Amino acid sequence: MQIERDTRGAELAPNQYEDAEGYIAPLPAGSGPRSNPLGVFPTGPEVGERLPDVVAVDSDGATLDLHEDREGKPVVLVFTRSAVW
Amino acid sequence: MSDFEAAGAKLYVLSYDEVDALADYKKAHGASFTMLSDSDSEVIRSFGILNTTIAEDDHPWYGIPYPGVYVTNSEGIITQKFFENNFTVRPGAEQLVAAVKGEEFTLAERPATGEQVNVEIEFDGADLPIGITRQIVARFSVPEGMHLYQEPVPEGLVGASIELDGDAEGILPYTMIAPDTRPLTLGTDGHTLEVYEGNVILRLPIAQNGRAITKDDDGRWVTISGKVRWQACDSEACLLPEEESFNFRVPAAFTVMADMGPGEGRVPSMNGATHFKKMTDRRKTES
Repeated sequence: MQIERDTRGAELAPNQYEDAEGYIAPLPAGSGPRSNPLGVFPTGPEVGERLPDVVAVDSDGATLDLHEDREGKPVVLVFTRSAVW
Repeated sequence: MSDFEAAGAKLYVLSYDEVDALADYKKAHGASFTMLSDSDSEVIRSFGILNTTIAEDDHPWYGIPYPGVYVTNSEGIITQKFFENNFTVRPGAEQLVAAVKGEEFTLAERPATGEQVNVEIEFDGADLPIGITRQIVARFSVPEGMHLYQEPVPEGLVGASIELDGDAEGILPYTMIAPDTRPLTLGTDGHTLEVYEGNVILRLPIAQNGRAITKDDDGRWVTISGKVRWQACDSEACLLPEEESFNFRVPAAFTVMADMGPGEGRVPSMNGATHFKKMTDRRKTES
């Protein structure tokens, strides 16, 4: 899948760049953290599929297996870019 | 107790940040959800959502996912997912809680065939920060034997939709959330359309980009206006198309931004700048 980045936008002022929808951020649309895809892009497993296994380390440093940890409860799993920036 | 806990669900947030960065975030923001560190982007890759438009040596940005959310049922099967092209936009908590709870609304009595469709329109949040979606929720009670149409529809019919006014500056619509439809083949020409029946809930996530905030003595505000449109038909005939306008004036909330500065604003510092440098340096030495 050949995915293009959405570079539409304009520089409004130093460190103020708007994207195609008018959101303003300190980096230009289509660069680094603003590498938004144009058109169709991969979004992972589909509705109706079992959520794939997730084994990762939590903020206390403990290894966690999500399907085990959820103990039969429904899950909301957010993939975010960064808590730091 | 968070709304997610009250709904009997568990909320996990996964990112490529290091464990110690997540620990600082949790301490600074007091988050009640589980934060997971995927610092080599292994889970991100296993889900197939690594952002491959970013060059491998573009540090520290390489390794981030196409951001989005999966909601499952108690069997661990995905029931909804939310991904948008604009990474600045994230689904609000109300939208995610509604997705995990599901919603059935039952009327004491469905309107009889030929009677009016009743609609209730609601804005599901108390405010609207920048880049976080809240929903315009339209609840339709469709009479027995009648149905609404899913867009697209042929000329002459009006599908069920929630639309923002054309001049609604600064407010962006995102992917509508709607119930399953059933296919209905029209007798006249064999055309098959998808229809909604019974109690139908449509949700339009919307977000603001910050450009249409108005200020007065009472604070900062944003206005969300538009129309809900629909047409109800039975197997033989249709009622006239209808529409109902909405206009919500809500407080424009501040967004909690990632804190890269030395403890600016009301949120305690999470040493963002230090973690950012560490993440960048680590990737530079590895590559």
